[in-house]
This record gives sequence, C-alpha cells and structure tokens, in this order.
Amino acid sequence: MSNLLSVEKLTMKFGGLVAIDDLSFDAKNNQITSIIGPNGAGKTTVFNCLTGFYKPTTGQMYLHQADNKVSLRKYTDFKIAHVAKVARTFQNIRLFPAMSVLENLLVAQHNELMIASGYSLYGLLNLKSYRDKEKLAVNKAKYWLDIIGLTHRADDNAGDLPYGDQRKLEIVRAMCIEPKLLCLDEPAAGLNPKESAELNKLLKFIKTEKKTGILLIEHDMSVVMGISDHVVVLNYGKKIFEGTAEQTKKSKEVIEAYLGVDE
Amino acid sequence: MQKQDIIKSFKDSLFTGLIALALFGPIVGLRTASKGEGLFITPQWGVVFLLVGLCILGRFLININSARRTEIKIFSTLSSKFSSITEDKAKHFAITGILFAVVFPFLPFTDRYFMDVAIMILTYIMLGWGLNIVVGLAGLLDLGYVAFYAVGAYSYALIATTFGWSFWICLPLAGLFAAFFGILLGFPVLRLRGDYLAIVTLGFGEIIRIILINWYEVTNGPDGITGIPRPSFFGLPFKRSPDEGEMSFHTFFGLEYSTMHRIIFLYYLILVLALITNYFTLKIRKLPVGRAWEALREDEIACKSLGVNPTNTKLTAFAIGAMFGGFAGSFFATRQAFISPESFTFIESAIIVAIVVLGGMGSQTGVVLASIFLIGITEIFRDLEQYRMIAFGGAMVLIMIFKPKGILANRKPTILMHGDKK
Repeated sequence: MSNLLSVEKLTMKFGGLVAIDDLSFDAKNNQITSIIGPNGAGKTTVFNCLTGFYKPTTGQMYLHQADNKVSLRKYTDFKIAHVAKVARTFQNIRLFPAMSVLENLLVAQHNELMIASGYSLYGLLNLKSYRDKEKLAVNKAKYWLDIIGLTHRADDNAGDLPYGDQRKLEIVRAMCIEPKLLCLDEPAAGLNPKESAELNKLLKFIKTEKKTGILLIEHDMSVVMGISDHVVVLNYGKKIFEGTAEQTKKSKEVIEAYLGVDE
Repeated sequence: MQKQDIIKSFKDSLFTGLIALALFGPIVGLRTASKGEGLFITPQWGVVFLLVGLCILGRFLININSARRTEIKIFSTLSSKFSSITEDKAKHFAITGILFAVVFPFLPFTDRYFMDVAIMILTYIMLGWGLNIVVGLAGLLDLGYVAFYAVGAYSYALIATTFGWSFWICLPLAGLFAAFFGILLGFPVLRLRGDYLAIVTLGFGEIIRIILINWYEVTNGPDGITGIPRPSFFGLPFKRSPDEGEMSFHTFFGLEYSTMHRIIFLYYLILVLALITNYFTLKIRKLPVGRAWEALREDEIACKSLGVNPTNTKLTAFAIGAMFGGFAGSFFATRQAFISPESFTFIESAIIVAIVVLGGMGSQTGVVLASIFLIGITEIFRDLEQYRMIAFGGAMVLIMIFKPKGILANRKPTILMHGDKK
C-alpha cells in the first residue's frame, strides 16, 4: 500500500524544551495510524505541526498525492485544510455551539459555497446556480448526519447535543471538507463503551468507504487496539516503537514507557 | 423566607447605604454657592439622607427579591409575554412596525418634534444594524464605530461642498470611503480579540476624531463644515423660492410651501436606508460569508481547521459594517447641513454599542426596540437636561437586570433541514 503521509526528521522546540525530537514515520493510504504515548509525549504537538498551527523547528512533512508530493510546511493556518486537504478535530471539542448542527456542516463547506455564491454576489441576487449548490451542500450534510444518526437534530444547536454526539459531529464536520488525511485528537475521550464502539464503526467506515487515511491520537486502548492498522509510540518526543497493534501490545519498550522500569 | 436571609440582605443594604453616603455626601451634600465676595458651602444633608435612604430601600428590595429566587412577578410576566409575542410573530411584528413607520409622518399627532425624534431614532437603528454585523454576527467588539460614521459624514460633506455632486452620487462614495477605513482598521487588529480588540477600536475612533480636529486645511478643524447641500427630491430642491427657471418640490407638485416637506423626505430617506441595511444583513447572514462570520465568533481555531480564511472573513465584516456606518454618516451630514468633530465623540460609539448589546447580540428586532427605548427615554426626559443621562443609565440597568442577554436574545438558524416545525 502506498504512503499517504511521510514525516521526516521532525523536530519542534519551544525555547529549550524539545517537544518532538527527530521524529520520522509514515502513514499509509486507507489505513488508521495511531499515535500513542504517555501524557506529555508530544502527540498533540505532532498534530499541531501537521495541521499548520505550529511551524516545526526542523524536518519535513509530505503528503503524497496521485503523482507528486506536497510539503505541508509550505502551508500554514487555514490553507492546510483548504489547499492540502488535511482535516483535524480537537482534544477539547471545538464545534460552533450556538449554531445549528446543519450550519456547522455548512461552514465546513465554506470555500466551495463561497465560490458558488460568487463571493456573495450571486447569493445576494439569489441566483439558481447558487441555490442548487447550497442544496447539494445540504444533501452532503444530510448524508453524513444519516451516518451518525443525527439527522433528526439537524436544526438544533450543536452545543445542545450530548457529548458523544458532539464528538461524532466534529468528526463528520471535518469529513465535509473531503480531506485526504483526517487527524483525530483523542476522539474517544469521555465516551462510554457503547459510544466508543460506535466511534470505531464510524472510523472504519471512513477508512474503507471514503478511502481516507486516518491519523489518530488516543488513550483509550480498546479503540486503538480495535481499529489501528499501524501504531507509533512516542515518549518524551521520541519515537520508541512502531508496528502493528499486536506487536505494540507485546513490546517491552512500550510497556516500560507506560508502566515504568523495575530498578 | 428565612430569617438569616432578611438579616443578610439588611446588612448588605446598610453597606450599600454606606457607599451611597460616601458618594452622595460630598457630591450632593456639599453645595458651593457664591455669595457676594466668595464661595460658601451650603450643606444639604436632607437631600443626601433621602437619596441614601432610597438606595438602602432599593437594595433591600432587590436582595429580598433575589433571596426568594423569583423575579418581581409583573416584570417577569411582562417580559416573557413580550418576548413570546415578538418571537412567535416576528414577521407580523416586523410588518406592523414597517407599516407604522411608513404612515407615521401622516398621523394626526405627528408634529415637527416627533419627526425629529423619529429621524434620530431611525439613524441610531441604522447604525445599530450596521454595527450588528461587526459585533453581533462576527463577534468583533468595536468601540470605535463612530469613526466610520464620521468618515461617512466628512466624505459626504467634503465631496458635496467641493464638487457639488448630488446626494445620490456622494452617498455611495461616502460608503466606499468608510468601507476603506473599515479595512484600514481591520488589518492591524486581525490578531486581536475581546478586550484587546475593544481597546484598539476605541483608540481608532479617537484617532479619527483628533485628525478631524487638527487637519485644519481639509476638515476646517473644530469649526466644522458648513453649508452642506441638502438632498433634493430627484432633482427638485426643497426651497421656498426657487431660482429663475427652476422648479422646487412644492411648485412642481402645486403644494403650499412647508418646511415639513423636507423633514418628511429626510424621514423616508433614513427609513429606506435603514431598511436596506436590515434587508442586506438578513440576506447576507444566510450566505456562506455570513455563516463564516458567526462561526468566527464561535470559534476561530475551528474555523481555521475547516479552511475558512479568518483574515478575509474579518475584513469583510469590518468593511461592510463600516460601509453602513458611512451611509448613516452621509445622511447625518445632509440632514444637519453642518458637521463638526463634536458630533463624533466616544459617547456616540458607546450608545450604538449599548443599543446592539441591550437589544440582544445579533437580533435585528432587538436593535429597533433598544433604540426606541434608549433614545426615546432620553428624549422624554429632555427637560431634565443633563440629568436625562440618569434615565439612560437607568434604562440600561433595567434591561440588564431583567433581560441579561438583551431584549431579544434568540438566534434562529440560517438554514433549516426540516423546515419550520412550529
């Protein structure tokens, strides 16, 4: 299977603190790659570098497209999502709480709709071309809401949804930008066993049906072990292990990192 | 109610009384009077004790009321009834309001004074609607909105007096200038949020005013600009005696000359301008850019993660908000025929922000109600001269106590999947 993302010698320093130290790993197409590690291992920092929120001190990140590779370093901020098509969710849910569920999903399709509305001009004139495009966007939102079973709450405020539904909504909102790579930061945090089982199902669906590569940070081992094709283990910013879920479970280094070493 | 509650609220009220005494004592109690040669102090302790007593009593009542954890019944039922009327029948309410506004000049009790007040209220409604785009939708607290009002007024005045172009050419130009200044302000404040943004915009408002005062060659400084042309009715001026070979409004329509014609025309002008602002805002709110504004208000980081360009989104909000401020400014200039920097002080910004916040952030109808309430109240108490600001402050306090989120604080989604269920 071909590579989707390759991270090469990524280093991120905050002053004297080395948050990520010479990290290299690959994520493949149509696979779920998990990044695990104890608290403070630098997992979220990796995400922030990948999604343009931080500029890494050194190192490269490439996103492989059909025939060329795109350096993610070139893009910052909103361009990562807009141009490079890397979507992400957040550790602490970041929905637009006072806006409706449907509106949340439409904001994710902002750039297409903006062009369709002729930068508001056609929209103000209420042209049919724009109304059709808007209908398509609503249908796309409905498609995703059907999948997570929230269609009946489409007109409610996103902030009024139960916690588990908010998590799922944030994931499908990220999917609405049609990403090549979806980065999920602890999607199972705070979910009960039933909800994490549903989450597993959703992620598998995205992987197999939507052919989207998923990069996952997770603490919940039932999720990690259940769905990961590939696991990267970080500790103190360094990669200490890389392999399949089964291999990870048995790895001595990983167990030591989590549980400590006998003196 | 428990005894402790009463004792507690009693103590609290006494404390309030103490503060009131400290404030009123020197301010009200010691009155300086000039008698003959020098200044003498005449104490007015009676008034002080009356005021302090009122404070204690008022505080005690509020305390007892909140201890019961219920609002004063009349107010709560009134306000809930009121909001249910306005929410359920928002459309009817709006149509009735507009119809009333249209026939208002011809109602029997409408005189010159009422018309002037109505024009003023409409100006503030328009400014409130313009600012609502920036504050209510995009969530960018702008305390210097009056700057755009000033830019609009001055651009109109300067263009009209220099080139002698008609109102309908100068108006869009003034709006464009104001929008340009909106972008000018937008750039440096892109990274700022909340309090920091508020302070910079406040500074911007002052900068514009100080430039207007000091740039004597262009703005005529504190003397202001006089002789700004009045608008004409599609080329027909409102003059008592038109020049040779020229028609004026009253001769063209064969009417008796009356100054009211111009006032009524101005009234309809601002009504139309305000309604355009409202229509535009309601429309654009449902477009992608409007949703992006609201998303930006909710969570900027999430916006970035979805590929929404925050720079462009913020700048459009500033520019469009400023443009409507500029339109209102042009109207102000043409109505007054005289403008000076004194009309564009911080208090104006504060009033407009108050109208938006008290109306309920983002609510169009709320802006109307808040404008009528705040401007109307200060007008009713005009005879009390400077004390009418007390009424203004009192009105604000009342709204904040009974409607902490603003008069109308409901947000309707911009698009519905299931249609209107109710």
